[in-house]
Amino acid sequence: MPMKGRFPIRRTLQYLSQGDVVFKRSVKVMTVNYNTAGELSEGARKFVFFNVPQIQYKNPWVQIMLFRNMTPSPFLRFYLDNGEQVLVDVEDKTNKEITEHIKKILGKSKETLEKEERERKKLSHPATFGPKKYHLRECMCEIEGQVPCPAFVPLPKEMRGKYKAATKNEA
Amino acid sequence: MSVPRGAVHAKWIVGKVIGTKMQKTAKVRVTRLVLDPYLLKFFNKRKTYFAHDPLQQCVVGDIVLLKALPERRSKHVKHELAEIVFKVGNVIDPITGKPCAGTRFLENLSDSENLTEADTTYLSEKLQELKVCSTEG
Repeated sequence: MPMKGRFPIRRTLQYLSQGDVVFKRSVKVMTVNYNTAGELSEGARKFVFFNVPQIQYKNPWVQIMLFRNMTPSPFLRFYLDNGEQVLVDVEDKTNKEITEHIKKILGKSKETLEKEERERKKLSHPATFGPKKYHLRECMCEIEGQVPCPAFVPLPKEMRGKYKAATKNEA
Repeated sequence: MSVPRGAVHAKWIVGKVIGTKMQKTAKVRVTRLVLDPYLLKFFNKRKTYFAHDPLQQCVVGDIVLLKALPERRSKHVKHELAEIVFKVGNVIDPITGKPCAGTRFLENLSDSENLTEADTTYLSEKLQELKVCSTEG
């Protein structure tokens, strides 16, 4: 039973997380004006169809608005925090070129992203165990080198409370 | 605890004006793309904001840019009108600077060029009739 739709791969988490455009903190609104017909808007249409979901997934707090058939020429417009507006003409560009361009002008660089990733990793210690939300493993029995979970492998006699109580009574 | 701007999370938003019946206030509908958790598809989710518009220059259907006020103006009004991005019926293409409608430029169109000889004679006759009527009446 295949997925429904024209390019259902766009609706997978793996595809969405593959988007590499992460906007800088100052970008608040992104507006895309494009046309539904015409060769010049072809790149913009592909951009909206394939890349906008990736961008919105990576930037959940940026407002993205799409306007169709309002002006003859397709363009992107970004509204920054300091009141500045960035106008990007996308006439006659492929969607790949558009994403590269906006990554270059308004996206966080690879070093910044890696640094943030390292900061986030520092906060959580991989050796601890606890709720799945905060740690990698939930119980001590899952850690290598520790006593395995008695649900899967029965404990040796000496560790069982039943045996310990019996020997204490005898002695 | 310094909140230099915005008693509200959204500092700059773009929306469409849906109502101007209030004095100096515009009702603006803002749409954001929200991911449906099961379908994994983005849908528009709408929210209405009230914006202060001192000159009452907004008309229903304008696309406007709102800026968050440093503190709330009234119970519901937390934004003010920063700029009208696209005026309804009078859209200016930002790349060329010319007025346009849909996918056509409006500058190139002009009635007088496309009229033929027959049209001009017909129109001038009609004008003559009108002149006669006005003198009689």
